[in-house]
Amino acid sequence: MNDKTNIYKPIRAKLLKVITESPTIKTFVMEPEQDFSFKTGEFIELTVDGIGEAPFTPSSSPLETKQIEVTVMKTGYVTEYLHNMKEGETLGIRGPFGRGYPVEKFYDKEVLILGGGCGFAPIRSLLYNLAAISDKLRKVTLCYGSKTPDECIYKPYVEQLRNTPKFEVLRTVDIPDEKWTETVGVSTVLLDKVKVDIKNSVAVCCGPPIMMKFGTKKFLEMGYPEHDIYLSMEKNMSCGLGKCGHCMMGKYFVCKDGPVFTYNEIKDQPDIWS
Amino acid sequence: MKNYYSLHISEWNKAIEKVLSDYLIYAPIKNDFTLDYELINQTNISEILYNIPKPTTPIKTLFLPIKENVTNDKPNQKRIIIGTPNCDIQGLKILDEIYLDKDFWDSTYHAKRENTLLISTPCFDTQEYCHCSVYGINPFPTEVADISLSKVDTKINLEILSDKGEKFIAELKGFASISKSAETDLKDIELKQSKVEKQIHSNNSGLPDYKKTGDIVQQATEETWKRYSSKCVSCGACATICPTCTCFLLIDKPNFEKVRQLDACQYPAFERVAGGEDNLHQLPKRFKNRYFCKYVWKPEKFKSLACTGCGRCIEACIAKINKNELFREFAS
Repeated sequence: MNDKTNIYKPIRAKLLKVITESPTIKTFVMEPEQDFSFKTGEFIELTVDGIGEAPFTPSSSPLETKQIEVTVMKTGYVTEYLHNMKEGETLGIRGPFGRGYPVEKFYDKEVLILGGGCGFAPIRSLLYNLAAISDKLRKVTLCYGSKTPDECIYKPYVEQLRNTPKFEVLRTVDIPDEKWTETVGVSTVLLDKVKVDIKNSVAVCCGPPIMMKFGTKKFLEMGYPEHDIYLSMEKNMSCGLGKCGHCMMGKYFVCKDGPVFTYNEIKDQPDIWS
Repeated sequence: MKNYYSLHISEWNKAIEKVLSDYLIYAPIKNDFTLDYELINQTNISEILYNIPKPTTPIKTLFLPIKENVTNDKPNQKRIIIGTPNCDIQGLKILDEIYLDKDFWDSTYHAKRENTLLISTPCFDTQEYCHCSVYGINPFPTEVADISLSKVDTKINLEILSDKGEKFIAELKGFASISKSAETDLKDIELKQSKVEKQIHSNNSGLPDYKKTGDIVQQATEETWKRYSSKCVSCGACATICPTCTCFLLIDKPNFEKVRQLDACQYPAFERVAGGEDNLHQLPKRFKNRYFCKYVWKPEKFKSLACTGCGRCIEACIAKINKNELFREFAS
């Protein structure tokens, strides 16, 4: 956990392993210097010493307290430094912050998950959690989209999930290669292929803003009530404490009130999809 | 009545000199350019101005400095801030809600609040853009501050507002001649306060009260925001000078140290994420954002006012944008 006496001080974490997931995405396995627990969907602020700090939702299991993993796309200043880091180096962690997925509300239900690109990272953590309580769930369906087969992340984990009772994985890519045998098209096309009992189901969406927008639209068309659509919002969460103001989305501090919201909570706030 | 004490200005000045060894003291002093808080030393005690309207800088800057290392936990020296008007005192309430949130207690801010004795002063005069009373704030302190100080002729009258204030008066009694305030002085103070309150209302006739601001902001059209923001240059002065705007950047320094630097939603890229999305990329949206934050979103989230009617944003605007013109336009 965070330093209780100073909310801005990170705890140190040793970088144990760097896994290349795709040409632009890496997973960083870290060992915090003290036990670190989080609920799935909550996020951390990860510090690259002297360079900067950025928010990431862990991609590892919330049941694991000795190690924590984040999966990061190289997309900005901090992530570029992060991608160049080597095993054995030290990172800083603050958190966990925010409100994650209310997993207990998924009991006795089907969980339909739509993910895109690096949005699989928070979803993998959720899937680990759901797998651990699968006796309490009806079914879990993951619909995952990426640009190309090369950019599909967590390939071994997807295979593992496909062999897990009650779990189903559908994948699509925008641009296939000759080996691709699964769906081609934007991620929402997968939702047409899913058989789901909407009345006994919840929908979860995490990915780039454009996917979140059309994914939510599709969920609504399918008949999901607004309060059963769970969205993991991406804003400029900087302090994580509901103070710095950078992630304000209307009346909400995404870092504190989110990042997981139901659609009905945020539908009237400005610019939720950008 | 029992909470009012009085001492002669010469005794008060001696008392300040005496406590200088234990406290850093800030108080308003007029210089060649402005009237602002200065660090008090033995040579400028007699220049302190009392019961004037607001100093140039809001008091938030003394609790949330423009730039501050928030990870090195340096002990704070005890401080006394004299001469803070009630608009700034009321501004501290929302800062307390944000920074002393029980889930995320900001120890750096808290240490400054704890180590500071606030000697607020009722305003015996107004400035052109003061409109606190219209927003339901008295131009004199009744809470949050520790002592309310009113100078009447050569007498300093001190009203105790908190336990901390009471302890300080007890400390003063150890070396200064203090008596109960005279009835006539108290009546005089009351009269002055009431006169200023009336003056503020009269200077701001037609200006809607705080409760109406939210609806007005929501009613304003995109054309309105474009029109009012057309002269804005995104300098951020309105936010920097505002007693309740406290957004900041966290800047990383080696050895996992972090520096908190005051930021503003008026600056480009305030909300930009690494992926490139930037809700407030367009200037009219940034301009509108500040109004929504102060008059719609913060009131939904916090108990304290997010605008205390100090008028500094109007004074500070180099483009001469007057927020109250917008509110007046939509009041009818």
